[in-house]
Amino acid sequence: MRDTQTNTAPLLSVRDLSVRFRTGDGLVHAVNNVSFDIDVGEKLAVVGESGSGKSQIALAIMGLLAKNGEASGKIMFDGRDLLHLPLGELNKIRARQIGIIFQDPMSSLNPYMTIERQLAEIVELHEGASRRDARKRALEVMDAVQIPDARARLDAYPHEFSGGMRQRIVIAMALMCNPRLILADEPTTALDVTVQAQIMKLLGDIQRDMGTAVVLITHDLGVVAGFCDETLVLYGGCIMEQAPTLSIFDAPGHPYTRGLLRAVPNIEDPAASLAAIPGSPPSQRKPPAACPFAPRCVDAVDACHLTLPDLDGDGSKRACLRPVEVLT
Amino acid sequence: MLNFTLRRLFAVIPTILVLIVFSFYLMRLAPGGPFTSERPLPPAVMANVLERYGMDEPLHVQLWSYIKNIVLYFDFGPSFSQKDRTVNDVIAQGFPVTLTYGFWSAIFVLVCGVPLGIIAALRHNGFWDYTMTGLAIFSQIFPNFVLAPLMVLLFTLSWGLLPGGGWNGGQWQYIVMPAIALGTSYMAGVARLTRGSMLEVLNSPFIRTARAKGLPERTIIIRHALKPALLPTLTYMGPVFVYMITGSVFIDVFFSTGGIGQDFIDGAYSRDYSILLGLAILYSLLTFALTLMLDLLYAWIDPKVRSSMG
Ligand SMILES: Nc1ncnc2c1ncn2[C@@H]1O[C@H](COP(=O)(O)OP(=O)(O)OP(=O)(O)O)[C@@H](O)[C@H]1O
Ligand SMILES: [Mg+2]
Repeated sequence: MRDTQTNTAPLLSVRDLSVRFRTGDGLVHAVNNVSFDIDVGEKLAVVGESGSGKSQIALAIMGLLAKNGEASGKIMFDGRDLLHLPLGELNKIRARQIGIIFQDPMSSLNPYMTIERQLAEIVELHEGASRRDARKRALEVMDAVQIPDARARLDAYPHEFSGGMRQRIVIAMALMCNPRLILADEPTTALDVTVQAQIMKLLGDIQRDMGTAVVLITHDLGVVAGFCDETLVLYGGCIMEQAPTLSIFDAPGHPYTRGLLRAVPNIEDPAASLAAIPGSPPSQRKPPAACPFAPRCVDAVDACHLTLPDLDGDGSKRACLRPVEVLT
Repeated sequence: MLNFTLRRLFAVIPTILVLIVFSFYLMRLAPGGPFTSERPLPPAVMANVLERYGMDEPLHVQLWSYIKNIVLYFDFGPSFSQKDRTVNDVIAQGFPVTLTYGFWSAIFVLVCGVPLGIIAALRHNGFWDYTMTGLAIFSQIFPNFVLAPLMVLLFTLSWGLLPGGGWNGGQWQYIVMPAIALGTSYMAGVARLTRGSMLEVLNSPFIRTARAKGLPERTIIIRHALKPALLPTLTYMGPVFVYMITGSVFIDVFFSTGGIGQDFIDGAYSRDYSILLGLAILYSLLTFALTLMLDLLYAWIDPKVRSSMG
């Protein structure tokens, strides 16, 4: 009985997460009342344009917000609220239970340490592995992320690797302890398209083999299509739509999602013109009182500028007064 | 690395030569000379003296034999103003003294400045941070020529703890005050620099990565942040050490340590060309040696620099 219960409880449950930054000229509301769940082994995509708050969600989960940032709400993991965990306890979860792949592989590795040390110290810390065992594990993981000639390159420094290889090292880092959840923040943005595809395939294989849950953060809907079960669309720090990935592509419910899809080139219909969404991202100076997308929305009516709609619907949820299917 | 060292050593030779030629002419072109005095020497005596020091020859001939003696015998020639002493004697007597308390002063600068800077960075806006700011201001108000008399006033005259001057073969009591008076303002500089770079490093993405690994803060600082945070300090220490040695004239005079600074002053007053030139060469050799040492240290810390040295 208890077993089934723990099995059905989500692995990670984010409730009403808000992230604010204190800055020289007032508060910046980077994330507003975001809620979502991830089940064991699930793959969730978080998409949104630059500045929509994607990275801050991942950082808040890891307790790594910048000094001037503050998160409120609840982030439940294993029955504990990560936002209120003492640092010592949080440190036992970092890397061991939740791994993170940072956005920029160029700067997120320590330039003064060998790759081997940077990987090995993780299992030395969490599993009390000896230096030798830790080195062996580092080699294993480097093989797993397909770094050619891994044994010879263990003692190299980050600057001796190409961007694609560094990205693999950053992924390897997240894998060292076989965590139950991996937060992948734009793991392929810095790379060219062919390498991008390799890395995504790699992540997919690893995910399948180890049953790890993955939150894939990206602004590239093309990357999401083949990878994630569920997609969450973020705009101005608010969730606009949350739905199974297939239905997002087949029948986007929110005008913003529709706009995003139109901005992606389509191989089947290359003649269709790419349409950028006119207007610019919302100001984050005030907490949103109305739909943040309304000023750029072609379908907006007066009510859209006055009310902040709830996220609702079943299966496919959207926060919109006039979702796409109502209009057509 | 060895290659790099050799290449650097070879580059030193022409630089030093240019330096010798330049300083040689510069000094000779300045009005006055070692044997001009208020009561002019009779011409016959003057000619005699000049001949004895080889100064009756044309300048370029003098320069040539000067360089030859240095290269072949490491001999900087006789002192013009101190009878029966060579420049080598003067250096051999004064330089070890200055180098000794300069060394201890540098140790003091590092041992106090670096930890203070790190603590100030970690307790950003806390007690130690303000202590450091206070120290920085203090060292601005009390440069070494104010600090030294103040220290003598307290430690020698009031409390009788330390000797007010002299050297006495370099016993530690005689080193303490010169070293501290010389180093304090640099110590504040090192603390400020270390604090700034530590703060910057702690904000860098790879430190965030280290935090994401679950490492405790202490490990993060020692293992990940310390090396990069110390690089600017290292760069700063090279020239500072040379400044400390060359700029110690006041200390040498005030504490009567018998260090090389006193000879420098005397040499300047009496137009003792050979002493001044000898010291200039010595200082530049010291600068080269230190820069080379720092570059090697840098390469040891920074793998990127190391691989670019080939
Ligand atoms: N330290 C900070 N101080 C103030 N504002 C911040 C800070 N960090 C982030 N922000 C703001 O938070 C918002 C969300 O940033 P976030 O990094 O989550 O964007 P993102 O969706 O990951 O974008 P990208 O695709 O460019 O990575 C941005 O508007 C940004 O300006
Ligand atoms: Mg981001």
